[in-house]
Amino acid sequence: MLALVAAGLLAAACGNGETILNAGNEPATTLPVEAPATLPPVDTLAPGDTLAPGETVPPDDTRPPSTTLPPPTTTTIPLADLAECPVDALDEGSGTVELTLWHGLNAESETALTKLTDAYNASQSEVRVELQNQGNYSQTIDKYVQSSQGSRPDVVIFPEYVVQQTADSDSVIPVAACVEESGYDTSTFQPSTLTAYSTAGVQWGMPLGVSNPVLYYNKLVFEAAGLDPEIPPRSLDEVRQFSQQIVDSGAASYGIAVDSGTDSGGGWFLEQWLANEGELYADNGNGRLAPATRVLYDQPPGVELLTYVQQLITDGLAFNVGDNAGGTDTFFKLADESAPAAMTIGTSAALGTVIAALGGGLIPGLTVDDIGVGAMPGPGPTPTALVGGNALFIVKDKGDEKAAAAWDYITYAVSPEAQSQYVTDTGYAPVRADALDVEPALSKYASDPRFRVAYDQLIASPDDPALQGPILGPQREVRGVTARAVAEIFNGGDVQAALSAAATQANLLIADYAARN
Amino acid sequence: MTSTAQRRQRRRNLPVALAMLAPSLVILGTFVLYPLGKAIWLGHQRCDVQGDNCRSNGWDQYWDAFRSEEFQNALLVTVKFALITVPLGLVLGVGLAVLADKWLRGVGIFRAVFSSTIATSVAVTSLMWLFLLQPEIGALSNVGWISDVFPVIKSPGLLRDPGTALTSIALSSVWGSLGFTFILVTASLQGIPRDLHEAAAIDGAGGTRRFWSVTFPLLGPTLLFVVIVLTTRAFQAYGEVDLLTGGGPRPQDSTTTITYLTYGQESVIINNDGLQATVAVLLFVVLLALSLLQLRGIGKRVHYGN
Amino acid sequence: MATENINFESPRGWRLAGRYMLLAVVTAVVLFPVYTTVIAALKPGDKVLQNPLVPDAFTLDGFSDAWTAGHLDRYLLNSFVVATVITIVQLVTSVVSAYAFAMLDFPGRGVLFVVFLATLLVPFEATLVVNRRTVDSLGWLNSYQGLAVPFLATAFGTFLMRQVFLGMPLDLRDAAAIDGVGHLGFLRHVGIPLVRPTLGALALFSFLGSWNQYLWPNLITTEDDMNTVQSGLRLLRSSALDEPNLLMAATIIAAIPIVVVLLLFQRQLVRGLTAGAVKG
Repeated sequence: MLALVAAGLLAAACGNGETILNAGNEPATTLPVEAPATLPPVDTLAPGDTLAPGETVPPDDTRPPSTTLPPPTTTTIPLADLAECPVDALDEGSGTVELTLWHGLNAESETALTKLTDAYNASQSEVRVELQNQGNYSQTIDKYVQSSQGSRPDVVIFPEYVVQQTADSDSVIPVAACVEESGYDTSTFQPSTLTAYSTAGVQWGMPLGVSNPVLYYNKLVFEAAGLDPEIPPRSLDEVRQFSQQIVDSGAASYGIAVDSGTDSGGGWFLEQWLANEGELYADNGNGRLAPATRVLYDQPPGVELLTYVQQLITDGLAFNVGDNAGGTDTFFKLADESAPAAMTIGTSAALGTVIAALGGGLIPGLTVDDIGVGAMPGPGPTPTALVGGNALFIVKDKGDEKAAAAWDYITYAVSPEAQSQYVTDTGYAPVRADALDVEPALSKYASDPRFRVAYDQLIASPDDPALQGPILGPQREVRGVTARAVAEIFNGGDVQAALSAAATQANLLIADYAARN
Repeated sequence: MTSTAQRRQRRRNLPVALAMLAPSLVILGTFVLYPLGKAIWLGHQRCDVQGDNCRSNGWDQYWDAFRSEEFQNALLVTVKFALITVPLGLVLGVGLAVLADKWLRGVGIFRAVFSSTIATSVAVTSLMWLFLLQPEIGALSNVGWISDVFPVIKSPGLLRDPGTALTSIALSSVWGSLGFTFILVTASLQGIPRDLHEAAAIDGAGGTRRFWSVTFPLLGPTLLFVVIVLTTRAFQAYGEVDLLTGGGPRPQDSTTTITYLTYGQESVIINNDGLQATVAVLLFVVLLALSLLQLRGIGKRVHYGN
Repeated sequence: MATENINFESPRGWRLAGRYMLLAVVTAVVLFPVYTTVIAALKPGDKVLQNPLVPDAFTLDGFSDAWTAGHLDRYLLNSFVVATVITIVQLVTSVVSAYAFAMLDFPGRGVLFVVFLATLLVPFEATLVVNRRTVDSLGWLNSYQGLAVPFLATAFGTFLMRQVFLGMPLDLRDAAAIDGVGHLGFLRHVGIPLVRPTLGALALFSFLGSWNQYLWPNLITTEDDMNTVQSGLRLLRSSALDEPNLLMAATIIAAIPIVVVLLLFQRQLVRGLTAGAVKG
C-alpha cells in the first residue's frame, strides 16, 4: 500500500498543469491566451442581420493589434476535385447489390429506420440494405474512424457535428456529386438542412432526420400552478417567470431540469442559444466561410447567457441533473416522485420514444397526453433552432455499383412518402416541406401539434449560412471541453473563468486538428 | 553425460523445442510484443484522425503527457480507486472467509452466497449496480431511511456527486471481486494443518491471537497473490467506468481512470492515435513499476516455509 | 470433498447466535444487488420503475424480450464458441510450451523464457489499438478468428503448467528419456494424465477470462451478430434504456451460464486458485 501512496504523492508533485494536448509540442504552437482584463462592448450582429459573403463580424477591440484576424476568404473546393458519384451504375449491374449501413440510433428512432429500410428492401430487388447498429453516435464515429477503408460500411449515418471531420477524411463521396450527376431536385428541401451538412461549398451528407432541442413540459404541473397548459414559455425570461410561479405554487419542486451533457445542455444547447441571439460560436463565419481558428463563446454574449442559467439554478428554479450520460436523466427528473421538475429541454428526436414509453406506462401517473412540447426557449424573444439530427453519407472506394445503390437508397429515404412516415414514427422534422403534404404526416401534424414544433422553429430560423451554427473539425471534442465548463458553471463556478479556460483548450484542439489533418 | 554430449543433446533438442514453442511465440509476438513496440514508437508521434500520416512530435511527448493535467488526474483517480478496492477487497475476503470457516450447520449456504459474485462479469456487476444507484428510479433511493441518512443518494445521486462517484464504482468492483477473493482465501485456510491450531490452543492462545500468529502468516502467499490480482484489476478498470459514469461527473472527471482516459468515449484524446499510444505506454510503465515494487516490498515479508 | 476445518472450539450459545446474525447480515448485503435485479427482471415494463424492493408483479416478458429482441441468444452462442475455442487452444499451447521449457534443454531457453515473462507484464490495454489494426488488415473484424486468435497463447498458462511439469518425480522424466518414448508419446501417456487436475483449473481460468472480456469484443465487432455477451450488454445499456426490465433480465441471463459452469467445475476452480497462489 505504501507503494500506491508514494505513487499518488509523486503524481501530485509532478504535474505541470498543462493539457495533454500540448504534450511534446514546442511552445510556439500554443495559441496566445486571450484573457481580456476589461470587456468593452463587442460588436455583434443584431438578430435578423445577415452577413454578406466574405464579410465577418467586426473584430472586437479587446484583442491587441498583433493578433487581429485577417478577413477570411471563403474557401470552396470545386466538386470536380472530389470523388465521383456514378448514379447510373446500378442499371448495368446484375443481381442484388448488398449494402451495409452503420448507424447509432436507438429505441423508437431505430425502429423507424428499420421500418423505412424494410420498406425499401421490399419495394425493389436490385438493392438490399442491411442495418448495423453500433450503439450510439460516438461508437459509430469511433469505429468508422478506426477501421480501414475496406472495413467501413457502404453507407453511414453521422450526426451533424462530424461533417468537417468526415470531409477531411477523404473517405466519402459528397452527395453534391450525386445530386449534380442525376439532376436531383432539392427545391422543396429546407435549405438550412442542406447547408448544415455542407462545408467549403460542398454538400457532403444528405440529411435524413432533422432534430433540434424542444421544451418538454408536464401539463398537469402547469395546471396545478395556475399556468395555461397549452402555452409553454418561449424565451429564457419566460422560463424564469413560469418556473417562479411553479415553485411558489408548490406544483413541482423545480421549474426546469438542466444538464451539462455534451450533446445536450453542455455542448449542443450552447450552440443553439448563441445562434438564437445572433451571435457567432466560432470565427470565420462559424467555420462555414473558412475553417475556424478559435471559438468565441468566452465573449460577453456567452458569459451573460450562462450566467443567466446559473442564476436559475442558484435561485432554486432549475435543477442540474449532471452529465446526463444516457440522455434520459433529464426526462427521469420530470418523473421523479419526490422532487420533480416541470420542464426540460431535450432533443425533438426523443418525442417518439417518450410517447412510446409513456404509452407503455413506464411512468406512473403520467400519460401520453400529459406531456406538452414547446419550442426551445432561448435568450432571444423568439425561438429559433439550428439543424441537428443526422445525415446519410456514401462511403467511397466501394465500387460504382454500390455507390449507385447507396444513392438509390438515399433518394428513397428522403422521398416525401418515406420522410412522412419517418417523422410520424419519431420526433424528427422532415427535411423537405412536401413531406407534410403526404400521409401519414399530414394527419399526424394536424392531430398532434407536438410533432410540428421542431419543424416550425426550424423554418422560422434565418437561412444565413453563418448563423447555421458552428462547423469545426474537432467539434465533438470541443463540445466535450465546453461541457466540462458548463458543468463547472452549473456547480457554481465562475462563469468567465470557466469559459475562458474552455475556450483556450478548444482553440488548442482546433489548432491541433488543423496541424494534424 | 559428458559436457560435449550434453551440448550435442541440447542442440539436437533445439528444433523440437522451437517447434513446440512456435505457436505460443507467434501469437504472443504478434499480439503482445509487436503491439507494445509499435505503441512505444507511436507514442512519440501525432497522427491524423484516421491514424495515418503520423509525424514525430519528439520523445518529450511522453514526459509532457505524464505531467499533463489530464494524466495526473487520471493517475490520481486510479490510485484512489486502487486504494479503496484493494484493502477493502482483501479485508472483506479474509474476514468473510474466516467468518465462514467455522463448522456451523448450514455454513455451506453462506459460503455459496459469498462465492457467488465470481460468476458476475464486470458488465453484469456494473449494470446491476447502475440500476441500484440511479437516483430517481433506482432501488437504493427507494429504501426510505437510507436516503434520509445519506441525502446524497437522491440528490444528486451517488454516481453523479464528485465526492461519492468513485467510491460507488469502487464498491461495485469490490462486490464483484468478492467471490474470487473469498474462494481463494477459504481454500487457503483449509490448507492450514489442524495441528498447528491445536498446538497454539494448547499453548493458551485465544482465537484472535491464533489468527494473527498462526493463520495470517501462513496465508501470506495467497494474500500476496490476491493483492497483486486486485491491484492489477484496479489499474485496468474500464468497464465499470464505461457503464456507470462515463468518466465521472464533470468537470472534475472524478472517475476517469487511466484506461478510460485512453479509450473512453468522452476522452479528450479520443481518436488521437499518437496520444492514445502515449497514455497506454505510460500505463504499462506505471503497472510495471507497481508490480516490481509490490513483489519486492511485500514479497520479502511473505513466509514461504512449510 | 472439501474437508471441513472443524474447530474444536465451536462457538456456543450467544456466540453462536451472534455469528449466525453476522453471517445473515452480510449475506443480505451481498445479495441485495442480486435481489433488486431479479425483482426488476421479473416485472412487466409498466411496473418496473415503482417499488424496486417489492415483487408486486410477475412476468417473464423481460427474459423473453432480452432473449429475442435483445439478441441474447446470439450473444451467448458467440461467447460460448469463442470461450471454448480459446480455452482448448490455450490448453494445448500452454502444455506444449511448458513441456519444452520444463523437459528440454536447449540453447536460448533462458532468453525465450524471459520473453514469455515479459508478455505477462504487458497490460492488454497497451496493445489494443495496434491489435485492432492488425486484425482489420487480416480481414478478421466481425469474425470468430478476430475474437479468439489474439488470446490463443498465454504466458500464465505456460508458467502454471511448467510448475507442474517441474514438480514431476525425477525418475519418471529420466525413464521417459531412456525408453525413447518420444515427446508426444510421453505427453500422451504420462504427462497429461499427471497434470490433468491443473489442466482442469487452467481450463476454467481461460474460460472465465475470455467469457468476461469487455474491451476487445467491443472494439472489433461492428455487426451486431458477432457481439459477445459482454459487448452485447454494453449495446443494450444504450438501446434498452426505456426497458429496464429487459436490461436486468439480460444481466441475469448473462450470468447464468457461468454459474452453471462453476457449479460443475467447482473442485477444479478451488484447486486452480490455490495452485497459483501457493506457488506464488
